[in-house]
Amino acid sequence: MKRTTSSVRIISMAAIAVLGAGLAACGGGGGGNASAALTAKGPIKIWYSNNEFEVKWGKEMVAAWNAAHPDEKVDAQEIPAGKSSEETIGAAITAGNTPCLVFNTAPVAVPQFQKQGGLVALDSFPDGAQYIKDRTGDLADQYKSADGKLYQLPWKSNPVVLFYNKDLFAKAGLDPANPKLGTESELLDTARTLVKSGAAQKAIWPSPAGDYFQSWFDFYPFYAANTKGTQLIKDGKATFDDDQGKQVASMFATLYKENLASKEVYQGDSFAEGKSAMALAGPWAIASYKDKVNWGSVPIPGTEKQDKSYTFSDAKNVGLYSSCKNQATAWEVLKFATSKDEDGKLLSETGQMPMRKDLPATYAAYFTANPLYKDFADQASRTVEVPNVTNSVQIWQTFRDAWNKSVIFANQSIDDAFKGAADKINQLAAQK
Amino acid sequence: MSLRSASGASRRDGAVPPTGPEAGAPPSAGKQPAGRKTLRRRPGRPEIKQKFRPLGKQPLGLLFSAPYVIFILGVLAYPLGYAVWISFHQFYFTAPGVQVDRPFVGIANYITVLSDPVVRRSFLNILVFMVINVPLTVGLSLILANALNRITRLKTFFRVSYYVPYVTASVAVIGVWLFLFQQNGLINSLLGVLAPNPSWLVNSWLAMPTVALYVTWKQLGFFILLYLAALQNIPEELYESASVDGGNKWVQFWNITVPGVRSASVLVTLLATITGANLFTEPYLLTGGGGPDGASSSPVFLMYQKGILQGNPDVAAALGVVLVLGVLVIALIQNRLVGGRSGEE
Amino acid sequence: MSITSKRASVDKRRNLSVGSFILLALGAFVFLFPFYYMLIGSLQTSPDTSVGGAFPEPGNITGENYVNINGSINLFKGLVNSGIFTGGVILATVVFGLLVGYALAQMQFRGRGVVFAMMLLVQMIPFQLLLIPLYVMIVRDYGLGDNYLGMILPFAINSTAVFVFRQYFMQLPSTLFEAARIDGASELRILWQVAIPLVRPAIVTAILLTFIGPWNEFLWPFLVTKDQSLQPLAVSLANYISNIAATASNPFGAILAGACVLAAPAVALFIFFQRQFISTNLGSSVKG
Repeated sequence: MKRTTSSVRIISMAAIAVLGAGLAACGGGGGGNASAALTAKGPIKIWYSNNEFEVKWGKEMVAAWNAAHPDEKVDAQEIPAGKSSEETIGAAITAGNTPCLVFNTAPVAVPQFQKQGGLVALDSFPDGAQYIKDRTGDLADQYKSADGKLYQLPWKSNPVVLFYNKDLFAKAGLDPANPKLGTESELLDTARTLVKSGAAQKAIWPSPAGDYFQSWFDFYPFYAANTKGTQLIKDGKATFDDDQGKQVASMFATLYKENLASKEVYQGDSFAEGKSAMALAGPWAIASYKDKVNWGSVPIPGTEKQDKSYTFSDAKNVGLYSSCKNQATAWEVLKFATSKDEDGKLLSETGQMPMRKDLPATYAAYFTANPLYKDFADQASRTVEVPNVTNSVQIWQTFRDAWNKSVIFANQSIDDAFKGAADKINQLAAQK
Repeated sequence: MSLRSASGASRRDGAVPPTGPEAGAPPSAGKQPAGRKTLRRRPGRPEIKQKFRPLGKQPLGLLFSAPYVIFILGVLAYPLGYAVWISFHQFYFTAPGVQVDRPFVGIANYITVLSDPVVRRSFLNILVFMVINVPLTVGLSLILANALNRITRLKTFFRVSYYVPYVTASVAVIGVWLFLFQQNGLINSLLGVLAPNPSWLVNSWLAMPTVALYVTWKQLGFFILLYLAALQNIPEELYESASVDGGNKWVQFWNITVPGVRSASVLVTLLATITGANLFTEPYLLTGGGGPDGASSSPVFLMYQKGILQGNPDVAAALGVVLVLGVLVIALIQNRLVGGRSGEE
Repeated sequence: MSITSKRASVDKRRNLSVGSFILLALGAFVFLFPFYYMLIGSLQTSPDTSVGGAFPEPGNITGENYVNINGSINLFKGLVNSGIFTGGVILATVVFGLLVGYALAQMQFRGRGVVFAMMLLVQMIPFQLLLIPLYVMIVRDYGLGDNYLGMILPFAINSTAVFVFRQYFMQLPSTLFEAARIDGASELRILWQVAIPLVRPAIVTAILLTFIGPWNEFLWPFLVTKDQSLQPLAVSLANYISNIAATASNPFGAILAGACVLAAPAVALFIFFQRQFISTNLGSSVKG
């Protein structure tokens, strides 16, 4: 008796699931007329980052556009920065209610959004490819997708450099004006001195968390410097399982082993609060360190001393989304927002580097007035982006898992972990 | 009735504390469901003459259940069915109007999931979590609720203090716990040389127990409330006559309180298990993404990682289905162990 | 029972309460301390992780973290939105949850087992599994984006609360209802006049249980509402928290202050509601 009732229940639950599945299979369809939208004009919606400085810039940009184009008004909203913005965009793509432009599209998410059919190739506009080439130059090639098209406009970068705390360096008996941070081994020695002298709790405190993007702020800048600008994947193959990659890994492994870096996540900003003497960050950080830390910065060191070092770009781009009805207007707004004037305003208001060729010459007056930013402008021309390949998030997660296992927590040898990760990443990159 | 049942309970005082659920049930707590059952099952006088009722004795119950059923079918069945469907196909979400091939792949996604060592580790992790969290939650919340029920002063203060962690957003409480449990945090300062190395949240052995402790702490207030409400149902006379018969407080606790709140215990056990199985925020925020080295990752966290961050909802859906089935099995086992007959019929 | 023995038992209970009191005080310390730490942290100019940081220090106290929040988000509007969102969920849960909970516990009808199984199953499904299909359905099929209803719908009837109702209704003797039915009372009348007054603690429990979900939820309302004037407090605070880290003078203090603001109304509501536990006299009225 009991058995029969429970099996009836299981069957009815299954029936509900099947019913739902049937409904689900019938869904889909519909959709707009792609080619008509490409030339249509009218009001559009955009999202920009909710970072205080970017909001200010965004509001001014929108106001300027709206004043000149009463028939093609832009309606702007903030998008949450950080962990949840990609899932917000991803869900909106599926529901077909993305805005026309998102001024904070992470390059790592572009292959996925493109695969979902959420993005418009900017080459579809007659002047699209040319405009991007004229503005950004050769650096734009890093942002091309597998089909050779550009689904994102390279907008601004935050080239990562090594910040150091001059006061803590002086306290440890190091020369704050000329710190010995030219090579990876110098960095290790400096780190030991900093911690052993008691000047700083930790020499450097990159986040040890397992998020896929954390490797952009420990491994990747050093790897870029070490290899003079090699991406994580080249021609569909993982590159990091080589001597240069393992050098970076063993340097970090030493930092963790000797407790010069922390295995724990820090709440807040360890560098701003004087808990660590060095930090990896881009020019956006200048504004927040200004009143708190007496800081200096050096390029990311490689194995050997070098003049023109490379680093990770930490770029944020603009995507034009396929649910947009008035794509011609969106393209015009995009060009307006990345014009020389607006880029200049972005630079002066946020301190982030517009991705333009000849940046230092274009805004010479600004860099003369703000010498702190000058090195970043120079560095911005030598940046490495995350590779634009399918499964990019999963690839970075695979790398991060291997990194945490071998470098941070030393549960596996670096050789084995990198080999295993490289094999898996080769498979992932080969998938369609 | 209460007097007689109370003496019935106290007579067992000298005996070993009851182990099985049936053994310790005082008549007052066990009687109602049992009585109801006999009423229903017995082919008694009214039932014999009763005409055939295809919808049951109170078909109005269908109407009462209707809004809830409509809610489940209208809001939750479709996404659930969709998820089950997705788990058997090669699938990713696309913009409306985009046509892609979504071939049926059988159980391929399930094989991918179950052969992934990271996934297997995460199931082991929540098993560890539950082994610590569920008994601790049930035990502590019952003891504290019982104590709370007995005092007269500062009742409000205590209730509020237990409830506060439960209402506070995880983002902030986690921040505080990180401060307390970090290498140089307050807990380690107090422990001195006894402080574990590596510290709690970056120690492969201690990370999951610390997470379990945190969740117990965070949720306990709510479970205390459940027990507190259930304790109101135990008639005062039971305790009074038990103390007349010379039962000490532990005997009273075992023989009157524990059986008296059995249906609440079923609820608490089940809810604590479900909370544990759906563990997400803590590995996401407290241990920096399932750290150290996956020692605190959970199936739901991996679902989030695979399905939403990495764009593989097919694999994530398969993982979700496995998880739901697993919880179902555990819940059924628990219902047999803790609940006896009082959970479901 | 004689008067002396009754007095003895009362004395005994009082003795017991000393032990209980110590236990509770210990528990309360463990429970309140992190919260206290949070409150102190939200008032600090700069974070202090040492043992000394647990005590207020006059030089390091500031209300600035709170002033900052008030300056950057519309607290009142957020509170109203949170109230509508949470209130809608609670209302639907209590009204429909009581109906189905009562039906599951004290009525016999065909399909009861199925409804019960559904209720159990629904609780076991992780929200992350349903997130995107649910979002697509609510926004695309039901057209409820930027709408309070769209926010409320997935949470509308809390299945755990339904379970709680059922569990409490089951504890009531069925003879009570049989008798009322024989007297010819309608089911709705029985529910309203007999059953509900007896399960007041269950209603309070369900409200407190249901309250937490929508009140602290930020991902769902954020996905559904792109219009900032509709966003609940948790969403604006999460926004505030996520972008403040780079710019606030004390990011950690800012986060803690945000959490305190979010928690305060919830704690106030609880203090208001918890009296309901005392005023019920369930034991005697049912068993007597």
